[in-house]
Amino acid sequence: MLLTKESLFSMFRFVALLWQENTARLSEIDSRFGDGDHGVTIGKMADLILSRLNERQNESAKGFIESLGSGCMEIAGGSAGPLYGVLLEGLAGPLSDGDTEITPVTLKAMFSSTRSALFEITKARVGDKTLMDVLIPATEAAENAPDDILSILQAAAEAASRGLRETENQVSKFGRARNYGEKTLGTPDVGAVSTALLFKGFQRGVEEHILQC
Amino acid sequence: MKMKKFVNSPENLTRELLEGFASAHRDLVTLKPGNMVVNNRLEKADRVTIVTQGGAGHEPALSGFVGEGMVDVSVVGDIFAAPGPRACVDAIKLADRGKGVLFVVLNHAGDMLAGDLTMKQAAKEGLHVVKVVTQEDVSNAPRENSGNRRGLVGCVPTFKIAGAAAAEGRKLEEVAAVARRFADNMATLAVAVRGATHPSTGMTLADSGLGEDEMEVGVGQHGEGGGGRQPLKSADETAEIMLNVLLADLSIRAGEKVMLILNGAGATTLMELFIIYRRCEQLLKAKNVAIAANYVGELLTVQEQAGFQMFLARMDDELLRYWNAPCNTPYLKKVHPAEAYF
Repeated sequence: MLLTKESLFSMFRFVALLWQENTARLSEIDSRFGDGDHGVTIGKMADLILSRLNERQNESAKGFIESLGSGCMEIAGGSAGPLYGVLLEGLAGPLSDGDTEITPVTLKAMFSSTRSALFEITKARVGDKTLMDVLIPATEAAENAPDDILSILQAAAEAASRGLRETENQVSKFGRARNYGEKTLGTPDVGAVSTALLFKGFQRGVEEHILQC
Repeated sequence: MKMKKFVNSPENLTRELLEGFASAHRDLVTLKPGNMVVNNRLEKADRVTIVTQGGAGHEPALSGFVGEGMVDVSVVGDIFAAPGPRACVDAIKLADRGKGVLFVVLNHAGDMLAGDLTMKQAAKEGLHVVKVVTQEDVSNAPRENSGNRRGLVGCVPTFKIAGAAAAEGRKLEEVAAVARRFADNMATLAVAVRGATHPSTGMTLADSGLGEDEMEVGVGQHGEGGGGRQPLKSADETAEIMLNVLLADLSIRAGEKVMLILNGAGATTLMELFIIYRRCEQLLKAKNVAIAANYVGELLTVQEQAGFQMFLARMDDELLRYWNAPCNTPYLKKVHPAEAYF
């Protein structure tokens, strides 16, 4: 099975819907050790995805994802804007303009590419209690999954959710939360929460699209 | 959540406040697309120009210091949130009058990410820009590890000193060197007695939960904790605790000259700040340290947080000359040399 443009759009639609459902929870978590507006930022990104899904039906997969990346980059949302901007632009990296369908091998390359792109702009790694605690294991699990679209997305979503749970046992090393040290134990990293929702949205988007077909 | 604030729709806070700010100060600044606040005299500038970026909700900072002698373009993100790198690159291009641009970034995670991505893109496009980071919060990292220090009110005098060096016609590398020399010799410590709320969500920032009889020394710009909570002390005792930390951090010795700024966080009154200032001056006099420059008031606030930032910097004759040079911005004006007063 190849990932069609329709499935790809469905992936991002589910990300947007999951993000919208969770804005209040994200802001509440962020208010404990941050400034309490991560849900506001994620809500803006969800709106951006939904409006691009309406406007850009005819665009190539690459152009569509890149437009989400540059759009998120300019959403003034503290660290989240640049991080999600780079994450999305990284996904588009291995795609060519003419690609209408994505092979499992290309999908894996997209995940590797986004990890490399983020490595260039943040020093955070596994254990630092950031979204990288979700992104690194999720993209690695994707690479090690069988060459099948749904298996890749399932493996990524499961690893993302494990990575997210791990952040509850970690002490923040980046961002505003860093200043709270040990007090951050027991609370998940809010960026990790929104990134885990992203991988869950990817998986559910394809599953739902298969059901509808 | 219910907030007792005069706002309209939460989504429009930044746009509405910038519209009002630019209208109120139309003699000095203009609001341009991309949330850019631009010095009205930028087009006539034949010198190095200065760009900064950061979130809103800290008024009068940062845009309140756009004007001759300080900042030429301030790029505003959203409430407490940095703008995107594209907007910053656009601002640098707009600001460059052929002599290069100094880009001042405060050390906060979002600001730094946007700043790094801006510099990457600027290098790709061959723009003539040098970045200077202000990071002077003594509470969250030792001086050797200043890369982890947060940027507090120190950005404002840094704008002033860099702006004056630029106005004097110095080259970009020299303006950057002066700004860095000042920035390397400054230190800030913040104290909070009551937290702020986020004006978009109505939530208390950073879970402050300070008791009625508590204060926290060593908070960040938004009241982020991590400092030492202790029973609320008198103005004189608080002044002494904080001043001693700053003097030790900068290793200030008898006979030196300093700049002292008391920056109200939003809900602490000038009355309190003057009481603190008076005690700082007594203590410095006793140590034979001269206050050669000062400011008491609100420069960089965070909504209705109660508390203040105490800023100290080691000064030399050149830095003092730049601090005292004329400037004309909405919230900092200097009309004639002020040495005589000190």
